[in-house]
Amino acid sequence: MRNTRAVEAWTIGPLEHFVGQAGARLVLIMTPAGQVMAQYGFARAVDVMTAAALGAGIVASSSEIASMLGQPPFAALGHRGTHHGIVLSSFDSPRGRLLVLVVYGVETSLGLVQLFLGTLVDDLAAACPVPESRGPVLAVNFENELNRSLDALFGQ
Amino acid sequence: MPLINFTTREITCKIVYYGPGRSGKTTNLQYIFDRVPEGRRGRMVSLATRADRTLFFDFLPLDLGQISGFATRFQLYTVPGQVYYDATRRLVLQGADGVVFVADSQARQLDENIESLQNLQANLLGQGVDVRGLPMVIQYNKQDLPPDLVLAPAELDRALNFRGVPTVSADALVGRGVFETLKAVSGLVLKRLSEDSTA
Repeated sequence: MRNTRAVEAWTIGPLEHFVGQAGARLVLIMTPAGQVMAQYGFARAVDVMTAAALGAGIVASSSEIASMLGQPPFAALGHRGTHHGIVLSSFDSPRGRLLVLVVYGVETSLGLVQLFLGTLVDDLAAACPVPESRGPVLAVNFENELNRSLDALFGQ
Repeated sequence: MPLINFTTREITCKIVYYGPGRSGKTTNLQYIFDRVPEGRRGRMVSLATRADRTLFFDFLPLDLGQISGFATRFQLYTVPGQVYYDATRRLVLQGADGVVFVADSQARQLDENIESLQNLQANLLGQGVDVRGLPMVIQYNKQDLPPDLVLAPAELDRALNFRGVPTVSADALVGRGVFETLKAVSGLVLKRLSEDSTA
């Protein structure tokens, strides 16, 4: 699938399988802080980040309401519009708690999306490897590059 | 922790603008949004009341370009400053890689600044984060107001900056200090990332 991008490669298989089965138009897998781990269907990285921030906000606020009601977080939340519907779900994985945002259209249904969402969660848990340590990320002199990037960003 | 994609070499960092109500947090983001070319930023999302007070958060994604061979993106958030929105402040603060504390320099707002700073520490502690280890910059906003209305940076330092973090004097409405603040917190966040990854 051309439109799939992932921070960690192990998420791609389960994500593409889910998109094929559920007929989703857009999908985001993210952390509760709104950091994107994998996505399908979005054109611009900045749009992905915006959708993730909003989705994470919805899940966070509804989880707080669930907490006030003395119950575990809601497993899934859904909204149906005239052209699109969205489903938000949170689940535990070997990498901690993750969220999924699914946007679907008239070619599929909420029931079908929710059905395969369960499979996606299971597939992600099965595919998730043990985290490994990494070497240095940034060069010692990254600050010069950062300053140049910020100067360029502000037209200075 | 910033999210790092080693395969596509991307880094994404979350920076939260914190501070009391009407200190200028949204103004900072609005100025950045107005000045950054469209191709390097996303839409600015503001979840606000009808009176334009932040209800949940403002959000602005920025594309900084390549740093050390990594495509680097920053997610800028503001929190609602009003005291009774503490629950939403806690949610927005989750997973922050750096904080900009936007202080209102007006003398009559000093207590609000202190209360908000204490609230920041309490909320971070509630998430298991020690404020002393988190990259942070304090912005003394509204320094353009008449001298008899505002406290000087040195006075604000004594009241607010017990950690000795970098500070920036600002007039966010016209953009003075906005860029310097973002630059300072970006440097701290990436420096910490660099240190963490070599530790």
